[in-house]
Parts: sequence; structure tokens; C-alpha cells
Amino acid sequence: MCGWPGRAEVKMFTEVVFLVASLTAPEEVGTTLQSMLWLLPLAAAIAAVYKATKLPKITAGRFLKETAALFGSIILFVAATALVLHVAAWLISG
Amino acid sequence: MRTRSREDRILLLIFVALLSWLVPGAGYFWLKERKRAVIVFTTIAVTFWLGIYIGSIGVIDPILAKPWYAAQIINSPAVALLGHAAAGNFPVYGRPNEVGQIYTSVSGLLNLLCIVNTVHLAHVRVARQSRG
Repeated sequence: MCGWPGRAEVKMFTEVVFLVASLTAPEEVGTTLQSMLWLLPLAAAIAAVYKATKLPKITAGRFLKETAALFGSIILFVAATALVLHVAAWLISG
Repeated sequence: MRTRSREDRILLLIFVALLSWLVPGAGYFWLKERKRAVIVFTTIAVTFWLGIYIGSIGVIDPILAKPWYAAQIINSPAVALLGHAAAGNFPVYGRPNEVGQIYTSVSGLLNLLCIVNTVHLAHVRVARQSRG
């Protein structure tokens, strides 16, 4: 009943160990323009949870539409703010 | 009679708030708002674990990053266990630390929004029932 674990069990255990180990070391996130893309999943999460709390009745179509609209407006506002700050920094520093 | 029913109402609201804190979305589930519960649980869990994946469990630091920890623990009391396990053992610096902390803290603040909304929803329903 309690024999040696099979090949499948050992493989699964190894995968779980690797998965847990990956949570103990940070990923590499550089100070590049691409690292700004980490903003997108966070904005999507904020839009989804906010709309889940606000809609009186949740239907797939309406939820997706409203979430997409809020996600778009967050991104536009962040982009506009970044542009204004960039221009201000350029004007100040010459 | 009136005092007791008011106490019951307050206890119910506290129960709903605690349930929502214990497992994100559980308060909605208890209020039979299944779709909301699934969306909230999935989104908050994914955001939190994505933050942990980016910055490692070192981003939960109850000693050196107390303000971030205050927001992170709103995700669930289970975060305290992670914080206890991680405290000082997995140092993480720079951009991964920042991104990880922002993700885990924002997911906590989103859960705070859901806790408040669940309590409000429960309050409205109880008020409607008592009115008849």
C-alpha cells in the first residue's frame, strides 16, 4: 500500500518544488521601457474588481465592455500624466 | 427586542466583513452573488500571486516595510504566515521589490474595497428585509 512513489508522483513532486522555489527568488525587472508593461495587468485587475463591485447585475457582455472602457481610461490617463511629467522634466532640465 | 435585532444586524455585518477578509470574494458568495465572488477571488488571487512571483515572498516584510505590509495583510490573514516565514530570509531589492510590493498591496486595497462593498450590500439587504 505504501510502496515507493511512482515516476509520475516523483515528477509531480519535483514540479511543485520548482514552482514553490520560483517564489523565493525575484524575477528580473530592468529599468527599461518594457518594464512599464507591468502596469497593464495591474490596471486590468483594478478595472475588473472595481466594475465587479459597481455593476448592479453582472452579465458577461456588459461586464467585459465596462471593464475594457475603464481599463482604457486608466491607461490613457497614465499615459497623459507621463507625457506631462516628461515635458515638465524636459523644460526644467533644459 | 429592537436592541437585540440591532445587535444581530451588527454581528451579521461583522461576520460578512470577516468572511470577505478571510477569503477574498467569500462574502459575496455567502450573499449568493456567485459571479461577483468568482471575479473578485480570481482577480485578487492572481494579482497577489503575480506580485509574489515578480518580487518573491521577500516583498512581504512585516519589519522593514510596515506600510506595505499593512496593505498586504488586507488580502487575507494568511498573509501573516507568509510574512512570518519570509521576514528577513529572502531579501529583495530594486525594481522587482517595487513592482512586487505594488502588486501585493494593490490587491490588498482592492480586497478592502470588496469588504466595504460586501458590508454595504449586506446592510442594504437586511434593511430591506426589516422594512418588509
